[in-house]
Amino acid sequence: MGVIAQTPADASVPDSGFFNDIESEVSDKGFVVSSTEDLFNWARTGSLWPMTFGLACCAVEMIHGYMPRYDFERFGIAPRASPRQSDVMIVAGTLCNKMAPALRKVYDQMSEPKYVISMGSCANGGGYYHYSYSVVRGCDRIVPVDIYVPGCPPTAEALLYGIMQLQRKIRRVGTLER
Amino acid sequence: MNLQQDLAPTTGDEVIENYTINFGPQHPAAHGVLRLVMELDGEIVERLDPHIGLLHRGTEKLIEYKTYLQALPYFDRLDYASPLAMEHSYVLAIEKLLNLEVPLRAQYLRVFFAEMTRISNHLLNIAHHALDVGAMTPGLWLYEAREDCMGFFERASGARMHTAWFRPGGVHQDVPLKLLTDIGEWLDDRLPRLFEDAMKLVVDNRIFKQRNVDIAIVSREDSIKWGFSGPMIRAAGIPWDIRKSQPYDVYAKMDFDIPVGTRGDCYDRFMVRVEEVRQSIRIMKQCLSQMPEGPVCSDDRKIVPPKRAEMKQSMEALIHHFKLYTEGFKVPAGSVYVATESPKGEFGVYLVSDGTNKPYRCKIRPTAFSHLQAMDFMSRGHMLADTTAILGALDIVFGECDR
Amino acid sequence: MTHSAPHMEKPKGTVAAIKKLLGKDLVSVDEANGELALHVKRDALVGVLTQLRDECGYQQLMEIAGVDWPDRDPRFEIVYFLLSLTKNHRIRVHVTTSEDVAVPSVTGIWPVAGWLEREVFDMYGVLFSGNEDLRRILTDYGFTGHPQRKDFPLTGYVELRYSEEEKRVKYEPVQLAQDFRSFDFLSPWEGADYVLPGDEKVIKSNEPPRGTPPQVNDPKTTDKPSQTGAGAAANVEAKKRTVRKPKAVKE
Repeated sequence: MGVIAQTPADASVPDSGFFNDIESEVSDKGFVVSSTEDLFNWARTGSLWPMTFGLACCAVEMIHGYMPRYDFERFGIAPRASPRQSDVMIVAGTLCNKMAPALRKVYDQMSEPKYVISMGSCANGGGYYHYSYSVVRGCDRIVPVDIYVPGCPPTAEALLYGIMQLQRKIRRVGTLER
Repeated sequence: MNLQQDLAPTTGDEVIENYTINFGPQHPAAHGVLRLVMELDGEIVERLDPHIGLLHRGTEKLIEYKTYLQALPYFDRLDYASPLAMEHSYVLAIEKLLNLEVPLRAQYLRVFFAEMTRISNHLLNIAHHALDVGAMTPGLWLYEAREDCMGFFERASGARMHTAWFRPGGVHQDVPLKLLTDIGEWLDDRLPRLFEDAMKLVVDNRIFKQRNVDIAIVSREDSIKWGFSGPMIRAAGIPWDIRKSQPYDVYAKMDFDIPVGTRGDCYDRFMVRVEEVRQSIRIMKQCLSQMPEGPVCSDDRKIVPPKRAEMKQSMEALIHHFKLYTEGFKVPAGSVYVATESPKGEFGVYLVSDGTNKPYRCKIRPTAFSHLQAMDFMSRGHMLADTTAILGALDIVFGECDR
Repeated sequence: MTHSAPHMEKPKGTVAAIKKLLGKDLVSVDEANGELALHVKRDALVGVLTQLRDECGYQQLMEIAGVDWPDRDPRFEIVYFLLSLTKNHRIRVHVTTSEDVAVPSVTGIWPVAGWLEREVFDMYGVLFSGNEDLRRILTDYGFTGHPQRKDFPLTGYVELRYSEEEKRVKYEPVQLAQDFRSFDFLSPWEGADYVLPGDEKVIKSNEPPRGTPPQVNDPKTTDKPSQTGAGAAANVEAKKRTVRKPKAVKE
């Protein structure tokens, strides 16, 4: 039996011992044995492609995250313009009544497994615009949300932390079905 | 697309009806949540109907339910690419109704940071305009400079974007000297280096010119009729800048030039913004050399709350603090329209007060509204792919357009 | 002028020229806060704005704003903001209208007015005759009501939710977990001329409002010295009590 590829328990930096083990295993035998669940989770967490659903102010911070200073692509997070290609939708900004059907439609178009990150207080629960006549009081009224990132707007770092929390959640749940 | 076979006895004579496509509301080149209903003849845009309001948050209604100070952060969230420029109009409108004097240092600080906002806004727009027509690298470099701006905003106010730093009567807090010297160094070295490097890639680039030159030409007459302002009217050849013609704060003391376009196409609009960044650097340097020491807020305790340290010592300051943060200040009845030169154009606030502590009516004049309306006649006869270039050159942010 | 808001000089003779030009169409001129506002007759609006554009040099229409005054008779006020690029001056033109009276559209003078009028229509329900494209612009497709009216509640009447049963996003009557807290700070200390929130439970219809002093039939005043109670009789009484023995202290 080979080494069961186990991802590190916490979402911190991947430990070098884990990678050294895999490397020696591969160079020794030419293959690695793992459970499909672990393999799938590894693949899911390693390339979370977000749908760029920039709605308002938070979108600017989200773009800053993709840009060189924070560079989300280090974590395999590459923005996709099409819902068909993406795994996670980052709802970045105020969700208004007029936009809500479009949001749901885009969510329905995403392929399983799909995750949603709600970014910023407007998407979390209406925030500063909670009492407005034209704002959805939280995007979880429209789509199921996995991770809430607080802030107005959350910094790019906070969003990155949120995405890493999502990776952690995917590992913890660890099932094929979702 | 509907091929009417019965009308086409021979191949090549097919009658093809115009077809309608939806651009957005979720589209990476839509700069937010814009829905364009386009009627196309082949790839030529015949008619274009922008549907806006997808980010209508009811800001004007909410402002009527908040005190003057509580309503201030709504302005940050209007044009989230240039938050401080939005606050500028609002605080000036309140000060005009109150006839409140602002200390000189506060005026300099406001101009200084308003110009930094202009730089960061133009960096964003230039990057996205280039990105929309296929140039990726300038965006990556310009965002690095924009990230610096955000860092400076954070050091001045504590927030990267929504600073709420301009207050009626001045600015919220003084900036440390180290911040000013750091910005001075950044203006001298890092920003010009990053910016000029990135501009070298696009301004003389053949592809960039092919995508932008002679696209959506707007004449002077049209730009006046359609209510253009800011870089849009300047690109059409009209040297109109509110900072020059109706100076506010200390713009009257500043020495800067207004770039003007000659053809009124997308390339001119782009180049006007590029030059404005350079002029903003000039203004900021003048602010740094002229900025006096002194208070950063009016000392009218009926409007400006006292500092926390003062509250620990003085009973009166404590009372003022309590009253100002619960009841707020009252503004004499009347109405004013104050328009400032935001990075995108004329951003106006029509403030109607009924003498209470809440605005009776606060009409926000967005820049994007009239520009986006002109999109129809600007795009007609152009290719579908040109709409992204036109949209990029309009510099639209939906927080402000839809309010 | 002490504020630092945008500074513009009013060109000399503007008011006189405008008064002469507009004549009867001008209802009143209002100059406050250094801004010039013209109140004009609604029916003459198109003519007035054309004259202002062509003969006074106010080339640009920057904005159209609506204001709702529920207490006034023509309820709505529509404000046109004109800018002269050549004279470097702004004026406002006000007209009044009510819910069922249409304002003449100015799309023929400035095409930009199309959307601006659509917005006023959307927010206030004011009609513009001559605007061929008077659709809603900002609010949702199929929205009912006009949100900027003062009688429209801040939170509206409906809110959105995704319905799992119907597999679509649908509107429902609004239900707030916590109501919007609106405080009245206007006059809590001194006697307000209206019933303070909460006081309506105490006040009965025939009783005077709380805080007012009780009514007395025979008011006590001390206008004359005799009313103070001073005099010979009082002096006698006073003397009686001045002689007072100290109480013995018990050991």
